[in-house]
Amino acid sequence: MQYSFIKPRRKTLISPEFKLLFFFFSITIGMLFVSYSFLKIKTLMYESTTQEMLAKGETMRQGISAMHENIAFIQIERRHAEGIYTENTVLKESIHNLFDLVPEKITLSQALLKEDELVLYGVTPSKEVYEFLLQAPLRSIFHRSYTSYYAMPNGWYSFVSKNYLDREVSAQ
Amino acid sequence: MKFHISRQMIYILALALVFLIIVFIFAFAFLIPSGKEYRMARMDAKKISYQVDTIQAEYDKINSNLKTLQADNRHIIGAYKTIFNPERFKKMYSPHFESFSLSKLAMHSQDGEFAVYEVNTSSLIQSPQGFYDFLDGVNKSDNIIGVNFPIHFERDANLIKSSFTMHVYIAGQKSTIEDENK
Repeated sequence: MQYSFIKPRRKTLISPEFKLLFFFFSITIGMLFVSYSFLKIKTLMYESTTQEMLAKGETMRQGISAMHENIAFIQIERRHAEGIYTENTVLKESIHNLFDLVPEKITLSQALLKEDELVLYGVTPSKEVYEFLLQAPLRSIFHRSYTSYYAMPNGWYSFVSKNYLDREVSAQ
Repeated sequence: MKFHISRQMIYILALALVFLIIVFIFAFAFLIPSGKEYRMARMDAKKISYQVDTIQAEYDKINSNLKTLQADNRHIIGAYKTIFNPERFKKMYSPHFESFSLSKLAMHSQDGEFAVYEVNTSSLIQSPQGFYDFLDGVNKSDNIIGVNFPIHFERDANLIKSSFTMHVYIAGQKSTIEDENK
């Protein structure tokens, strides 16, 4: 027996209105979570980039420090080497000048060059020749100059000339 | 007129209110702080990026200076690192002398950053020019070499016998010498 003219509606726990509401709610919550996740992920990415850049900066700072040390050392090397090259050149010039100083009439048999001292051994036809031609220029270079003569059988003289430079003592 | 609100509508309104509260709580408790964090992290990253760029520019400039300095002083830098080879030295400089001999290389002293080795030489030359040429050549040698006093010249028939001391400077051997001195 039929009691109603319409077919009975199927009763559900959640009505279509609630379903619609839950749909919008879930969309909103989903968007919130997506936004939150996006912010978190981007923050982590920025933090990671920052850490990498900090590490890179630190590495470069260490590199700069090492390069400064390297530059300083190369400059030390260059100054040192240039000093040595100059000393060698000065030494060459000094020896050149010394041999140029000796006149043709005087023959050297030995020359000993020290830092502040020059010892010459040689033969001269006469004391005067030595004194005028060699001792005079030596006296103008060295502070102290001593010469000993030894008469030779042929009338010539062998001589030993010791010449000294006095070092200047700097006031402390 | 009687305003009728159905029971379902009340549920919906209550649910919307609860949802709104949840959204507000979520926004203030999580979303806004994480937004702030994000902005701070972005600002920090930009700041650090600027600093790193500045450091990079300085690094590049100093690196360029170093490369130029290394290129300009390539010979000196190499010479300080080269181990003294007596055989090679004799071969290179013997044309300046009639005969040329070197003593064994011996540790001498420390000159600042450099270890100083000493080698005694004796030679025969025809004229002082050979010695001058040798001194010019020493400044272009593979090592940093200083010719030192005392220098002794002695006539030997038509030749000149010469003897002198050379100092060979080598970089980066400070610790070795200090250890040897202990």
